[in-house]
Amino acid sequence: MIAKLGNILKRINIIQWLTAPVIILVSAFVVNAVVMLLCNYNPLEAYQAALSGAFGNSRKFGETLVKSTPFLMAGLSVAMAFRCGIWNIGAEGQFLMGALAATWFGTRLATLFPENTWIAVPICLLLSMLAGGIWGLIPAVLKVTRGVNEVISTIMLNYVAIHLVSMMIDGGPLQEASQRGPQSDRIVEWVFLPRLFPPHRIHLGIVIAVVLAIILTFILFRTAFGYQLRAVGEGAAAAEAAGISIVHNTLRVFFISGALAGLGGAIELTALTRRLFLNFSPGYGYTAIAVALLAKLNPLVTVAAALLFGALTTGSYSMQREVGISDRVTFVIQATILLFVIGYGSIQLFRKRASSHS
Amino acid sequence: MAENILELRNVTKTFGEFVAVDSVDFALQAGEIHAILGENGAGKSTLMNLIYGLYQPSDGRIYVTDREGWRHRLHAKSPRDAIINGIGMVHQHFMLIENLTVAENIALSLGQLRTGRKGGRMGEGNRPESSNLPIFQSLKKLGAFWFKKENAIEITDALSEQFGLTVDPTALVRTLSVGLKQRVEILKALAVDARILILDEPTAVLSPQEVEGFFTILRNLQADGRAIIFISHKMKEVLSISDRITVLRRGKKVYLGPTGELTARELAREMIGEEINEVERSVGGELPNPYENGSADSVLQLENLTVLGSRDEIAVSDVSMETHRGEIVGIAGVDGNGQRELAEAIMGLRQHTSGAISILGANPHGTKAVRQRGVGYIPEDRQTTGIIASFSVTENLLLNVTHLERTARWNILNETKKQDIAEQLITAYDIRPPVTNTPAAALSGGNQQKVVLAREISLQPDLLIAVNPTRGLDVNAARYVHENLLAQRNKKKSVLLISTELDEVLLLSDRLFVMSRGQLIEATAQRNDIEALGLLMTGETDTKQKT
Repeated sequence: MIAKLGNILKRINIIQWLTAPVIILVSAFVVNAVVMLLCNYNPLEAYQAALSGAFGNSRKFGETLVKSTPFLMAGLSVAMAFRCGIWNIGAEGQFLMGALAATWFGTRLATLFPENTWIAVPICLLLSMLAGGIWGLIPAVLKVTRGVNEVISTIMLNYVAIHLVSMMIDGGPLQEASQRGPQSDRIVEWVFLPRLFPPHRIHLGIVIAVVLAIILTFILFRTAFGYQLRAVGEGAAAAEAAGISIVHNTLRVFFISGALAGLGGAIELTALTRRLFLNFSPGYGYTAIAVALLAKLNPLVTVAAALLFGALTTGSYSMQREVGISDRVTFVIQATILLFVIGYGSIQLFRKRASSHS
Repeated sequence: MAENILELRNVTKTFGEFVAVDSVDFALQAGEIHAILGENGAGKSTLMNLIYGLYQPSDGRIYVTDREGWRHRLHAKSPRDAIINGIGMVHQHFMLIENLTVAENIALSLGQLRTGRKGGRMGEGNRPESSNLPIFQSLKKLGAFWFKKENAIEITDALSEQFGLTVDPTALVRTLSVGLKQRVEILKALAVDARILILDEPTAVLSPQEVEGFFTILRNLQADGRAIIFISHKMKEVLSISDRITVLRRGKKVYLGPTGELTARELAREMIGEEINEVERSVGGELPNPYENGSADSVLQLENLTVLGSRDEIAVSDVSMETHRGEIVGIAGVDGNGQRELAEAIMGLRQHTSGAISILGANPHGTKAVRQRGVGYIPEDRQTTGIIASFSVTENLLLNVTHLERTARWNILNETKKQDIAEQLITAYDIRPPVTNTPAAALSGGNQQKVVLAREISLQPDLLIAVNPTRGLDVNAARYVHENLLAQRNKKKSVLLISTELDEVLLLSDRLFVMSRGQLIEATAQRNDIEALGLLMTGETDTKQKT
């Protein structure tokens, strides 16, 4: 039994998986300690506040989970695309399009449904996935037909999505009936994504996201579809020669990636904010890139990476409250972690290249 | 007896438990061409990488005599340290920056002198700035801060002239032919005044005509007092160019002697430890030659096929041909005459602008359809098209839509089936080391090729397209490939063999074509007339004079 467990551990190669995140986190925290000292804060006190703020009790931990969910959904979106060698930077826009679709459904279409029907929520989520997926298909079609670089087109489409949202809720058809502010009406109650332990904010979306992470891992490593997707990402020429269509896989993975981000937007909206407003996403889609890279593009590990970013968010609130560190400093901390993630990633890429040359 | 310019004593290199180089003694004399023979995985490359500083020995010592005549122990932590000690290497896969000019590439090579360290002796001569050697003068001319392009061009021109290696210093490297790129690689080593030149499979990329010119260059360098380590699989070349031969087998030195002491056959025996047999082959022996009977089923039909290359040039021009069951059709020719484009067009990887491709009577569209029609493909570029280096051996054995479809049910891969297929193929094709979950990148070139062969042949394709299937393989591995191709033929399958190795095409083909400048010329009648074939390969079409 123990031997079997040991074998499993060996195969996962836990130490190898952990070295990167641990190095990144430790170095980021050391650098940030220096930043805090320069700003006359006690870093130990600050870190303690952050830790207790993120994991101190079940309520706080629940809140960390809630904050992790959008990172996880957008992170899964990015991980799937990057696995296939598709540099989809558009999770932000796809996230917003999902939220926009959910708002439209929740404030308009759902009123046609009978009250207290359970079917409204799944329809809403599917619709938002479709919206995110179609938003993802635009750069995909541009790429396969015209050879447009998806990094550029997805970033551009993020701006289109941001302004589309603001157009719809700031004087547009989805603005609240009272026309007071740039936000939508609240969605109707039967589109609310259920909360699991009220009054805690933990909601069904967290479960959905984690189950999806498991399903996606299975798809990637245990299905022919996932195999083809990875083959295109790791060796496009070899995949093509094997008869795996790069065009088909690009379209598929862009749709899936967009749908995941769109679902993330809908979950955030139907479970928490319940209405759409300007700056609905504080850059989840961009941070998700770091989340996915930190997880080495493994959907299951993305759960852990998203949890870290959720904890950073709740932890930084608590640093503000208890130690008085301004939120600017907490942004510096997040940014430093991003830099270390990217830096470490490129070192590994460099090493990989160097070793494949020799 | 000449002085030893480089000496390895009892050098060992281990990777984990694997001993790649096992207590090897090796001495290189000034002014000699020393050939190193060995199968794939015999430790040749590892040994060279130890000398060139890419690896550090696990045990043993390396001594080198530097340009000033000082002998000291070499502690090369990187190629720069080797370069500063007068060791240069021309890799099989060129280490050139494609988007820079020739002169800029030479300048980069010179720049490595700035940071290299000598081992052993400290003090004078150890600091590049204080040295009066001409290469350091050249380095100074390049400028310490601002790069002086004109001087780089001047240095390149001077080198070209000195060694008779003409090349345009202002040309972008990516625009050069393979032969010229190699010339730039050699110039790079000469720019830093390498006294010891390591050439890893230098002739693999050259046409027979280019090889002759290349050997002249080597002899000039030798006459200039430089020592050359020449690594090759090609016995004929080794015997014609080298002064001494070292044979490695499984990491150990098994033979050292002057060239001519052993015959080619004896050397081959030293390499593989057993007598090699030429592939048993009798044209029309086991099977009547189907084409001559005129009764065989046609498998592949090309009609007036025209294909554009990557730069929109006409790569394949109006080609018509046919292959039948039970025959190997060979296409010989010098690299870059449209062979790659032809194979890619048949595989559906490249569009054709006019003409028709028909496989078993159908016109499949796209690679997947071509594959499902029963076509196997051994691509030219093993590393990028044959395998996915980061995928495990098992995953690489699956890299074919037909295999995938057979292993998956409802899209879910059957893990047991996958593992069974992998283990079965690894045993059947003797893939070494016999591991399933290691990345394919960890295998040697020959074993990677076995992975490709196993995958493609195990499906029993009606048509197998093999492009340079034995490039870079040793005698044993090449023979293995040849046997497999012949087995396909004897199972009444059709094989299209496209190769730049004339010997290989002559040995295996029932019918023979030559491809030159995009055109395909049937040359079955000239198969015994090497001279006529050579003329066809160089694009001389006036063979009528001869007939």
